[in-house]
Amino acid sequence: MARIKNIMLTNVPTLKKEARIEDAAKVLAHNDSGCVVIVENKKPIGIVTELDFVRLVASKGKNLKEPISRIMTSPVTFMAPKMKLDEALKIIDTKRFRKYPVVENEELIGLVTKKDIVNAISDNLRLHRNIQNIVLVVFVLFEFFVFVLFGYLSQYLPFGA
Amino acid sequence: MIKMRSIMTKEVITTSLNSSIIEAAKLMTAKSVSSLVVVEKDVPVAVVSEKDIIYGIISKKAKVRDVMDKEFITISPMTKFAGLSRYLREKKIKRFPVVENKKLIGLITETDIVEATRDFTRFHQIVQEVILTIFGLATAFFLFYFSPIGAAIFSR
Repeated sequence: MARIKNIMLTNVPTLKKEARIEDAAKVLAHNDSGCVVIVENKKPIGIVTELDFVRLVASKGKNLKEPISRIMTSPVTFMAPKMKLDEALKIIDTKRFRKYPVVENEELIGLVTKKDIVNAISDNLRLHRNIQNIVLVVFVLFEFFVFVLFGYLSQYLPFGA
Repeated sequence: MIKMRSIMTKEVITTSLNSSIIEAAKLMTAKSVSSLVVVEKDVPVAVVSEKDIIYGIISKKAKVRDVMDKEFITISPMTKFAGLSRYLREKKIKRFPVVENKKLIGLITETDIVEATRDFTRFHQIVQEVILTIFGLATAFFLFYFSPIGAAIFSR
């Protein structure tokens, strides 16, 4: 089973907690990951997503010079690199966020998105299904084989049939 | 196979070329959506995402027409799921207005696709478990029936 560390993105955009909202906007506008993680000595303390920005800055008119801590989501729900994908899915189902920083020894090492986890599970399942189908076919053949041969073999069995 | 009609967002929030970015942002917040479709006489001409809005704010643009993304693909409601995942994974296009008879009838976003994949995966897992259970029980019965104990019980 794949783990979080196999599917995470490793170049996560980060900002120091002293940054301002406009710095976050610049990062968000020029980066594809859709969020920026706020770190303090490599430890993630908050996260700002595109959604937060649109909700709090664009439509409520917060000032771009205000510190980032005014709009960040904190504390952050994070995942461990060794976590299995279905454990991750349970967290996603309860928390309903889309982006999760990956943390090891209190250091930010990556980012996983809901999309990546769901896609990885779906691919995994496809492989799994193919293996299972092969196993089933072998099983059916085996049963058929036993059934056909049974009539012949039964004369040698001690209990009779 | 899943058709787009069943997973698309039917209430598409639309905006016009000349509305302001702030209006668009307010609309997104009010309707809890992550993208708007820009329409001109009921025909989709572009899409606007959260990222476009952010870009518009820091570069001091005012109108939706200055930030909107004209590179999008319209799809028909009969498009199949597999056809779409290819666009999503390879071309990095994330929003697909659904058009039928030249009219906008829905929108597929990344979220819709992820949710559909999620549900489909769950459904598949259940089907797989059921098949395995039936086979397991059949095999167990089969082996038991032909075993000495089974022979005694069924008094063959």
